[in-house]
Amino acid sequence: MAAALPGLAAAMAAGGRRAVYPLFQLGGPQLRIFRPNFFMLAVRPGVPQPEDTVQFRVSMEMTKVDIKNYLEKIYNVPVAAVRTRIQYGANNKKNHKNQRVKKPDYKVAYVQLGKGQTFQFPNLFPEKEQDEEARSFDDFRKKYLEKEQQIQKGDPRRGGVPDWFGL
Amino acid sequence: MRRPCAVLPGGPRRASREGRSLRFPAALCWGARRLEGCPGHVAPGAQPRRAAPAPRPCPAPRRCEMAAPGGCRLLRLGRRWFSQEPAVPPPPGPLYPPVVASHTARSKAARRRRLEHFHRQVHEAASIEEKLRLYGKLQRPKYTVHPQTFALNADRWYRSFTRTVFVPGLPPPAEAAEEPGPAAGAAPDADLDLGALRSLACDALLQESFYQNKRRPFLYRDQDHTPGPFLTQLVSSLAASLCGRNPLLAASSLDLNPEVNYYWHHGEEVVVHGHRKGRVDPVRFQIDDKPHLQLRVPKQLPEIVPLESDLGDVPVIDHKPSKLPLFKKQYENKVFIGSKVADPCCYGHTQFHLIPDKLKRERFEIANLEDQIEVVYRANGVASLFAWTAAQAMYQGFWNEADVTRPFVSQAVVTDGKYFAFFCFQLNTLALTVETVKNNPRKNICWGTDSKPLYDVVEEGSVKGFNDEVLLQLVRFLLNRPKEL
Repeated sequence: MAAALPGLAAAMAAGGRRAVYPLFQLGGPQLRIFRPNFFMLAVRPGVPQPEDTVQFRVSMEMTKVDIKNYLEKIYNVPVAAVRTRIQYGANNKKNHKNQRVKKPDYKVAYVQLGKGQTFQFPNLFPEKEQDEEARSFDDFRKKYLEKEQQIQKGDPRRGGVPDWFGL
Repeated sequence: MRRPCAVLPGGPRRASREGRSLRFPAALCWGARRLEGCPGHVAPGAQPRRAAPAPRPCPAPRRCEMAAPGGCRLLRLGRRWFSQEPAVPPPPGPLYPPVVASHTARSKAARRRRLEHFHRQVHEAASIEEKLRLYGKLQRPKYTVHPQTFALNADRWYRSFTRTVFVPGLPPPAEAAEEPGPAAGAAPDADLDLGALRSLACDALLQESFYQNKRRPFLYRDQDHTPGPFLTQLVSSLAASLCGRNPLLAASSLDLNPEVNYYWHHGEEVVVHGHRKGRVDPVRFQIDDKPHLQLRVPKQLPEIVPLESDLGDVPVIDHKPSKLPLFKKQYENKVFIGSKVADPCCYGHTQFHLIPDKLKRERFEIANLEDQIEVVYRANGVASLFAWTAAQAMYQGFWNEADVTRPFVSQAVVTDGKYFAFFCFQLNTLALTVETVKNNPRKNICWGTDSKPLYDVVEEGSVKGFNDEVLLQLVRFLLNRPKEL
């Protein structure tokens, strides 16, 4: 370590170019921290999943071991099991030039949480509590729209026949 | 093709110009002899269309609406075209076939009729083999349930598929319940020579793990190297030595590496892909189990609790079984207890399962999944015993439309060589399909213990920390017999 540091210092001092780090071997000093370039997106499952399963969209290059380590080390989430699959994005749609447009492929990971934890995807768009004014305004608007539709339809006694039809 | 017909005045048959319809097959009647009530009927006094003799009044005015067109010719009195005997009165009974739903239509009534036809076929099957053949005739993709699985919380899923209630701990022995008294209760155990049995077990263990020179086990084949042969040796020697005390063991049959299969329906789902898309199908399951050892006996073990007992709740799963993970495959729908139907030892006594290398304790401890260790034992016990008892019930002629009238009881020991877990299963119901489970209050019950070590360690030619409790429980399992014996 003592030998490494002067080398680093020398490199840093010689014009501020990028420092050359010694090769890391198990047990050696950890001089660098690597932040992964992966991102995981928790999504709402399309079909009902068990209570302990969370569904993620992950980068195509991630493996099951990567996902487990990512969640355990960065977010302290106990992971019991991970299963992944790759979702093929369709290539059927065509643009205005009649060229095929591909939807991108993505990898889906189903993570089962350990230690008996459960997860339910939250409702991101809950119904807002409406106050008195908003509610009465909504009612009024609904009634007005209904009346307009009734006028459009015409006299119900005519049974849907247009009013220009007749004598 | 012209039908053969006698020559009648009026010329050959000709097609009527009036609109043909099935309700008036009189269109096929002869012109001159059209009967009253049919279209184109010529009134007796009116001019007939062709030169024909004067039409006689129709003896049977409405009989032209018979199903058989042209049949009115047969009923004409005085003219017998097909027989020389005098006109026989029609036999009593319904003239028309019963009005039932179609057999091939795409309707719920047709589907129900096909199902009823299938149920009737299986009910009226001549033999058990025929019944099993018809039961598993239709092959469709089904979930393969593995009793020994790495899936998390598998025992909860398996209990839901098999409608089983799990009760921790073993049921109290029947003798202690009937004669409450320390002397009577301890009598079966007191004159057991525990020392001899212990020495049998230690001999088997030492022989396999210490005395016998074996090569290093192949990769991931540790269980076949030492615990497998030890278990076989232990069970065979214990069963042989306990034959005197339990005559059922003397008449039993010990299977090595038998196969146990069972196929059943539970729940409903909508078919997602394929030419059958959109149809409602039952969810099919198949268990293919290979216990390490199995004891089959000619007499049924006694019931532990009455048939209609309710000892707990069955877990409810609201999503598809494929999320377990569980996979579908289509192959033969087999129901098998380890021997064919004609075998006299058609009831089950005890199964012995060996946990494979993939599900060893150490692997779970390394992966921080200690709570899943017991799940493996429980799932194995529930699934294997359900398959075995249900297959035994099917061998006696019961199935999901003909539910069991007496409970089927079997036992199992699940071990990985050192740790032993004991399970007891009572099958109260086979009716797990959607229609039959609606009004079915019965549930299957499984009692089970946690896994306990039989010994601590084997070193230098001796077994350290031998646990007599586990051996005693094993011996009690083997001594279990019906009350008559």
